[in-house]
Formats: sequence, structure tokens, C-alpha cells
Amino acid sequence: MVSISSDVIRGYNDTIILYLLLDKPSYGYEISKQIKTLSKEKYVIKETTLYSAFTRMEKNGYIESFFDEDMSNGKRRTYYRITEAGRQYYTDKCAEWKLTKEVVERFIEEEKGNGNN
Amino acid sequence: METIRNYLESMFQKLPNTAEVQRAKFELGQMMEDKYTELKNEGKSENEAIGIVISEFGNLDELAVDLGISGYMNPNNNMAGKQVTLAEVKDYLKDKIRSGYMIGLGVLLCICSPCGALLSDYIGWFDFVGILFLFAFIALAVGLFIFAGAMMEKWSYLQNQPCSIDFSTAEYVHGQRENYRMTNAMMNTVGVIFCCCCFIPLVIMDELGVGNLFEGIGVVILFLFVGIGVYFLIAASYRNSAYETILKLNERGTMGASFVASQKEVYRYTNKIVAAVMSVYWPTVTCIYISWSFLSADWHITWIIWVIASLVENFIKNAFRE
Repeated sequence: MVSISSDVIRGYNDTIILYLLLDKPSYGYEISKQIKTLSKEKYVIKETTLYSAFTRMEKNGYIESFFDEDMSNGKRRTYYRITEAGRQYYTDKCAEWKLTKEVVERFIEEEKGNGNN
Repeated sequence: METIRNYLESMFQKLPNTAEVQRAKFELGQMMEDKYTELKNEGKSENEAIGIVISEFGNLDELAVDLGISGYMNPNNNMAGKQVTLAEVKDYLKDKIRSGYMIGLGVLLCICSPCGALLSDYIGWFDFVGILFLFAFIALAVGLFIFAGAMMEKWSYLQNQPCSIDFSTAEYVHGQRENYRMTNAMMNTVGVIFCCCCFIPLVIMDELGVGNLFEGIGVVILFLFVGIGVYFLIAASYRNSAYETILKLNERGTMGASFVASQKEVYRYTNKIVAAVMSVYWPTVTCIYISWSFLSADWHITWIIWVIASLVENFIKNAFRE
């Protein structure tokens, strides 16, 4: 089975996380769970990868952290919220990805005649 | 969950104890706990849940640059020194406690060594019997000291070279020490009581005026009481210091040093009033001692305040400690 290469996806962890923060603040486990679900379990982000992305983006000013209580069980945890700079960065990364995808796809051989649609 | 906690603690053990590292540990622990809880709720078995959480944890190398810990990530960097296993720690504790008993007994023999001579003097035996006793006791004591020293020789590396223990070992030793706390207080108390009461038999014998033999026995009991008292004090302090030595192995400044909260001896009291009283305890005792002594001029007896005060302090500490 083909699995995702962590080298390739590394450049887009930030984009993935920022996307999940666009609508509302979130916390570590929730984000990792959403990544797993939305990618249909094809990508499972490691805890250390996620945390390192948090600290790096916080340093760069793309996200902010704050303490809050979890509505469901009253547990206090660190939440992350996206900043204006973060939204801008996200838009840039999206444009970058479209370009990257366009370029790389030129060189990808389509599987012909395998009965795939 | 215990396995996960152990895993996380040992991953962080050798890292410096800084705000960033603490935060990282806290956050990662939180994520692991959340994941574990959810997996359990989905009906996964304990082992399955632990396996998934640990396999999806990742690698701390990824955080090295962000946390400023690159220097600690090098496998050749052996700052934390030899890792002492739980089995070794158990052996060490056993040996150290045993050596405490031996040294206590040796000191007891030394203290009691003049008893033979004194007794033979009082009852008019030949002097050489007393001298024989004296040397026999001292020889026995020295034998015990040498044996205890030889037994502890193989553990000298704990003091001489950098060593570290993992989280579960720290917890084990901490638990042992907690269990021992009450016994420790008792042994200290008994030791002090023996020392304080040592002269009572002699005084009684003297008052009764029952003759030389009994006065001689009074003196022997005096030495014996002091010896027993000191025995208890030494045995207790050896055992305590065994636990202390192990709990202090992890290098200060690394996360490993914060495994067990009570490594730093901070007394917290369950009762606020007690806490307030205890904060001015010793100054108050000093005041009482000085006032009483100067007002009554009974200096020969007022010192007893210190003994009583320290007993009371020990009692309060153990009774109201959190």
C-alpha cells in the first residue's frame, strides 16, 4: 500500500493546521483527530510534528495560544487561534500549492488502461 | 495510562528543565492523554491504546531546534551518566539500610564498652575483666564498621560518577520513603527519649541508696540507654539518607530532577492555622527558652525545651503534612 511521505507533506503541515483553525480555535488532539478523519486515515500526524508546528507558527505570529476550559469535560487546555498574519500566510500557501501541484502533475504518468474510471 | 506517563517522562528525563521543555512535555502529555481516552472509549484494549499512542508519538528530534535542546539530542552526549536500574536501586537500599543497623550497633558497642570496667570497679572484681570487656566490645564495633564499609564500597559510584534513575524507579523509591515516614518519626522519637531518660535509673538507684552494686548497674543502664538511643537515631538517618541519595541522583536542571514532587523538602500543612503557627515556631521556642531561663535562672533544666520542641515539631509535621 502506498503511504504518504513525511518529507513531502512536511511543507504543508502548517497549511493543514491553519485550515482547521480558520473557523474556530482548537487544541492539539482535536486537530490531530480532524486531520486523521478528513484525510480518511491516510495521514496521521505525529504528536511531536504537531507540537513543533504549533511552536514554530506561534513564533512566526501565525497563531496565538490561550488557556481555556473544554466545554465537554471542563478540562483546562491550550487552545490555538489563527491571526491575521496566519490567514495571509494560509492564502499564500494555497496559491503556492496550486502552482506546485500544477507543475508536478505535468510529470506524473496517468495510469492508463487500468480500468480506473 | 501509567505506561504512557512512564514513556513520556523517560523521553524528557535528560532534557534541561526549562519553561519551553516543561510546556512541550505538558502539551504532548495532554495530546497523548486525549488520544488514549478516546481510543479506550472506542472500545480498544489497554494494550492496543497504549501501542497506538506511543507509535504515533513521533520523535523529539523534531522539537530540538524549537526548544533549543539540540545539544542534548546527540546520543554521544552522556551528560546524565549511568542509568541505575530498579534492581540495582533495590539492592542499594537493602545494603544501605543494613549498613545503618551495623554502624548503629557498632556505635552502641563503643558507647557501652566502658560498662564492664565500671561494673567491675563498683563490685570490686579484677580490673582486667573490665579491660577485657572494653577491648572485646571495641573490637566487635570496629569489625562491624569495617564490614559495613566494605559492603558499601561497591556503591561508591553512586556518589562519584554521574548517575540517573528513570521515572518509575523514582516513583518506587518515593513510595518507599513515604511508607517509611511514620516509622522514621517513631525511631527518632524513641532515640531521643532513650537519650533523655538515660540518667533516670541512676538517679533512682542513687536516691534509694541500695549500695554499690545497684549504683554500678545504674551507670551501666545510663550507657546502655544512650547507646540504644543513638542506635535508633543512626539506623533512622541511614535509611532516610538511602532514599535521599537515590532521589537526588538525577542531575539538577534536567527534567529528571522533577520526577517526584517531594524531592525538595517543602512542608505543606493541611491546616492553615497550623501553617501559620509553624512559620514562627522556632523563634517562639527561642523566646520561651530565653525568657524562662533568665527569669528563673534554672539553666540546668531549661534546655529540656529544645528536646520537647523538636519532638513536638516532628509530631506536628507528620500529623498535619499534606
